[in-house]
Amino acid sequence: MSHGTAPAKAADDRLYEVHELTRVEGEGSLRLRVKDGEVVEARLGIFEAPRYFEQLVVGRTPDEVVDMVARICGICPVAYQMSAVHGFEELFGVRIDPQTRALRRLLYCGEWIESHALHIYLLHAPDFLGYESGIAMAADHRPLVEQALRMKKAGNHLIKILGGRPIHPVSVRVGGWSRVPRVSELKEHRAALEEGLAFALETAKLVAGFTMPAFAREPRLVSLRHAAEYPFNDGRIVSSDGVDLPPSGWRDAFEEFQVEGSNALHARSLDGKGVYLLGPAARVVLAGEQLHPLAKEALAASGYAEMIRTNIYASIVARAVELIHAFAEAIDIIDAYRAPSEPLVAWQSRPGVAAWATEAPRGLLFHRYEVDESGRIRTAQIVPPTSQNQAAIEADLVVAAKQVLDLPHAEATHRLEQMIRSYDPCISCATHFLDLRVEEA
Amino acid sequence: MAHAPVAARPRVGVVKFASCDGCQLTLLDLEDELLSVVDHFDIVDFPEATSARSAGPYDVLFVEGSVSEPAHLERIVELRRRTRFLVTIGACATAGGIQALRNWGDHDAFRLGVYSHPEWVASLARSTPISEHVTVDAELRGCPIDPGQLVELLTALTTGRRPQLRDEAVCMECKRRGVVCVMVSKGIPCLGQVTQTGCGAICPRFGRGCYGCFGPREQANAAGLTRHLQMAGDRPREEIGRLFAGFTAYSEPFRSMVTELGGARSGRGTTTTTAEPTPRGGTR
Amino acid sequence: MVISVSRSPRGNRPNIEGPGFLARADLQVLFDLLREDGRLLIGPTVADGSIVYDEITSVDELPRGWGDEQAPGRYRLRRRGDERLFGYVVGPTAWKKWTFPALIPLTRSTHDGRKVTFEPEQAIPPKLAFLGARACEIAALGIQDRVLIGTEFIDPDYMVRRANVFVVAVQCTTSASTCFCTSMGTGPEVTGGFDLSLTELDAGFLVDAGTPAGHAVLERLPLRAATAAEQYGVAATVAAVRARIGDPVPTDGIHDRLLAQLDHPRWAQVAERCITCGNCTLACPTCFCTTVTQTTDLTGTSAVAKRTWDSCFSPGFAKVAGGSFRARPRDRYRQWLTHKFATWFDQFGTSGCVGCGRCITWCPVGIDVRDELNAIAPPVPLSPESRLVEPVAATPNDFVTARVVNTKAETSDTTTLTLTGVDPAFSHGSTGQFAMVALPGFPPLPISISRFLADGIELTIRGAGPATKAMCALQVGDQVGLRGPLGNNWPLDRAVGRDLVIVTGGIGLAPLRPVLHAIIADRRRFGDVKLFYGARTPADMLYRDELERWGKRDGIDVSLTVDRAGPDWAGPVGIVTHLFDQAAWDGSNMIAFVCGPERMMQATSTTLAGRGVSASRIHVTLERHMECGIGLCGHCQMGKYFVCRDGPVFSIAQLGDTFGREGI
Repeated sequence: MSHGTAPAKAADDRLYEVHELTRVEGEGSLRLRVKDGEVVEARLGIFEAPRYFEQLVVGRTPDEVVDMVARICGICPVAYQMSAVHGFEELFGVRIDPQTRALRRLLYCGEWIESHALHIYLLHAPDFLGYESGIAMAADHRPLVEQALRMKKAGNHLIKILGGRPIHPVSVRVGGWSRVPRVSELKEHRAALEEGLAFALETAKLVAGFTMPAFAREPRLVSLRHAAEYPFNDGRIVSSDGVDLPPSGWRDAFEEFQVEGSNALHARSLDGKGVYLLGPAARVVLAGEQLHPLAKEALAASGYAEMIRTNIYASIVARAVELIHAFAEAIDIIDAYRAPSEPLVAWQSRPGVAAWATEAPRGLLFHRYEVDESGRIRTAQIVPPTSQNQAAIEADLVVAAKQVLDLPHAEATHRLEQMIRSYDPCISCATHFLDLRVEEA
Repeated sequence: MAHAPVAARPRVGVVKFASCDGCQLTLLDLEDELLSVVDHFDIVDFPEATSARSAGPYDVLFVEGSVSEPAHLERIVELRRRTRFLVTIGACATAGGIQALRNWGDHDAFRLGVYSHPEWVASLARSTPISEHVTVDAELRGCPIDPGQLVELLTALTTGRRPQLRDEAVCMECKRRGVVCVMVSKGIPCLGQVTQTGCGAICPRFGRGCYGCFGPREQANAAGLTRHLQMAGDRPREEIGRLFAGFTAYSEPFRSMVTELGGARSGRGTTTTTAEPTPRGGTR
Repeated sequence: MVISVSRSPRGNRPNIEGPGFLARADLQVLFDLLREDGRLLIGPTVADGSIVYDEITSVDELPRGWGDEQAPGRYRLRRRGDERLFGYVVGPTAWKKWTFPALIPLTRSTHDGRKVTFEPEQAIPPKLAFLGARACEIAALGIQDRVLIGTEFIDPDYMVRRANVFVVAVQCTTSASTCFCTSMGTGPEVTGGFDLSLTELDAGFLVDAGTPAGHAVLERLPLRAATAAEQYGVAATVAAVRARIGDPVPTDGIHDRLLAQLDHPRWAQVAERCITCGNCTLACPTCFCTTVTQTTDLTGTSAVAKRTWDSCFSPGFAKVAGGSFRARPRDRYRQWLTHKFATWFDQFGTSGCVGCGRCITWCPVGIDVRDELNAIAPPVPLSPESRLVEPVAATPNDFVTARVVNTKAETSDTTTLTLTGVDPAFSHGSTGQFAMVALPGFPPLPISISRFLADGIELTIRGAGPATKAMCALQVGDQVGLRGPLGNNWPLDRAVGRDLVIVTGGIGLAPLRPVLHAIIADRRRFGDVKLFYGARTPADMLYRDELERWGKRDGIDVSLTVDRAGPDWAGPVGIVTHLFDQAAWDGSNMIAFVCGPERMMQATSTTLAGRGVSASRIHVTLERHMECGIGLCGHCQMGKYFVCRDGPVFSIAQLGDTFGREGI
């Protein structure tokens, strides 16, 4: 059920297949066919069952939407809540207290920490160190894995303090928070964050020391960029080649479409300039100026500042750099925190379009809702980062194919699977993804 | 339900149906206990966490997610065949999840609303809990499950005793913790009285009403609560219906309340909004 | 505003008689003293939209200027518009949070191969001071003391925690609409169970000590003597609170009444509303049910058992392997109500309820236990209706007429008239009431109604003066004027389930005769009846044939005595109190109705009190000069009472020391 071992039809005819990718979030498959040394098929298949979120939210209220869309993903529920809540507040003209906004960034720090730590140590590092899992890695590197789990816990605990539980937190509301923490609750967690920061710095050094497989493709990079902060909740949608839109303006540059013969909704640029990449690599390149000084230093010291643009395997370094940033910013927010005088402001709904993009751990996440006269959702569009990255993944598979042809089959297949892992795909997020049955050409 | 320890070091699998992944992530989020858990349980199949695979047999199988597409029907039966002790985890597996809201709808209208070519989409008309298809030995409720309850289940499995998963209202937990009732002191509607405890009363602790993500408890008097909300708060029926139309809407008695009061879209032409499904984009 | 004499808080203070007065500004001294004594202070503070008990250190944390509004299923804070620190009643927290915490470890156990060990947890709780315990809450502590450390099995955790508590009671100066401490006999007055008690006035606090430990703190407070005006102010406030609360749930006999209604249809009705969520039991300060959970580690070699609050409302509470003994919500609601208000008496000698009202306020669907009790086990209606009817002709200038249909000479000077054609109000009067009876040209006189009939009443009149003689001379067919029925009644509802002692002499039997009728009509509701009746001579006894019939009934003892016996008299001779002053009864469950000359009633009351009958259960009927019968002419006043309007039936407790006092 794992790796296929199809015999080559001719010397350069290969079929690399993984029916169920492991150490990715959600259910995906990989299929790569090479004929006469040329790639004839490169598919990331995702057989996640449809849950129709865009339909489920129709007729509901904005606060209900905030609760519901969190369930699109168990690793990044905060991202879904943030894209929704900021979109609604923009439409309704709701002004939130700066401390309220700071707490939202703090919540996002928690999620990035938890998600990046999970990815680096439990999902991706085992590939570099030759283990089949982080758990197996613990047999030989127990203190390292324990420290990694503590670091992940520091992120989870932050979400728990702010939102009641790390997965599907409860306190994010249109207009602010149903409850804000006492200063003491946050201060009590500061020591764990300091410890996490120290370990994040070590993590950056560790991953910079991994042997990166050779790979080169320079995609178009897309992320948010903000003049005063590293992009979480806010920023303009920018690309490495001139796109510059407000966070609500995703549809002015991109669109979703259904792929014939498959059920995956892909995304593409309207200007036809090709596949684009979202995520830590894009952010570090496009918005790196706003990284916390400690993160910038670590990026410079890693020696991967340039290669992040072109070698997808090196995204693990980008994640480690962002881990440092998230810890450092969390500590700064806590040090400056005073409870907002109005944690939850009253609001009135207005009919119109609520659209917003925020940066989930895996990349730009765009939501768009039409709100009707009675304050209910009329239509919804949710575009997760992984669905947008799918085209890039498949383009990378084509490039990777050439680089693995000389390897033994099992190792080549593993290398391809690892490449997909480098995207840290979040497949459950892909609300419309379904099993792919590609008809052979 | 099996009470004896299933094996000295039970072979454990973790599988996923239609879900968000949050419940299996809760296992990986047992940061303090994870390595100890691994010492006591042989995790043979857990695709998210390990590349090591096994098709079974399993001593314990954790099943996340609801049955939502045709392939699931056969898969769950096959998994059940290979499992001694099957535990469903989370609202999707135990109640059908938030995606079960489509069960009140016109399934075709739903698909049309999302896909310009719905004929390429394979899904079932209803999203259903695992227990509708196979026998379930234990269930952990919640959206997501509570880590404490997960640890309790694991220690119960190693000790051989029945897991202590209380069947009482969330109200009990609020009162034990000294949380002031949001319904009584603020008039916020709260499903805690009819919802099974297990979360530690998170929502009332955080200043909002419970939205029932652990599902209806035994003998939940949803009708009584509905009458009270209507009379005391002068709330329209549909608003109360939406309260029940959440993550465990498909479990009784929430299901009957949603049907009776409204709250879940029932498909094209019968919604409260005039939504025309607008498929997007062309084909490649 | 009284200026307190300043002195050092630690200095010796001059001996103050009676309660002390602590200035408002000095309350922090009490806080500081208690903390210096190493106590953690737990007191009221505003949090999450309510007033909860929590750890506090400063007077500034008290809910200054806050009050509360409570109703079934509803609690709101409100601004009082003053500076009062204790101007509210109880909130959702009960003190049991500290004496009987929601979660404690009980036992640590290990399992190593075959060997097992069990080690009980020993709690080492901090020393606490409860600041602001109300009368109902003190009663609740007492109830839990009885349950948890007052039987042959004690709870060691509770014992240790309870011993570490210093109670500073606060007298309620207001009430909520959900309070019913009066009905449960637990308040609103703070009468005991405290180390210190405080009553808040505008300028400060009246302070009293209840224990040596309390005295030890009191002596270090900067107090002066409270003035009489201050003490009166307190008494007046408390009386006002009592009046405001009233008596929402008459609870005399509630044990039997409730247990007689296990099949009442109301149980099913309340179960339709009840969510069996358990809020009432966990908010209740006396509920004590718990469950034990086991926490093990993954190796299974060590475990901790923990005790946590449980509720009889949870479906699993009464489950065994074969099913649940109380499977239906109605069974569980009935269990709770009957335990709290009935079987608790059997188990622990008191009611389980203190009337704090928390179960009413914090029930999310607003079920009011008072309504349920009154519906399921209503207080006994006085035959035929429980409420006093509106009197007719109740103005100083009017009378209605009635016709004599029978006359009977009871004795040489006493006649019973049977009247008919009376306004129906009279037939619905209650035992003990009277009518103003008028003949043109004569002053109207108050006459007790000695019998209630379907279409009339009987009046027994002693011809002592011209007016009464004229009434005694009336013939069948004659008419007479009436106003009434007036006054209050013998409280038969308080006699339900009790033994009655009726002591009377001469004409005094007339107002008590309807009591015997009512008891006989509803015999099973009441206990034994002892009637003691004295007259000057046998010929002066009223209703002789009825007396004989009554004495023949089961459970009714009639004892007669005369001042002067004749040749046919074989019974006792002497004053009526001699009939029972040597009796070996236990009067603690008895209720007494007494009617006769005031001296006789006083002597009787003293003797009855000596037999253990409580002052609130000895009832007398007073006779004063009455002219209008409706409280407007001013003649019948006695102390603060208008005998015609507030009486004529009073309990000795109500009368206090005005009863029998010369010249009142």
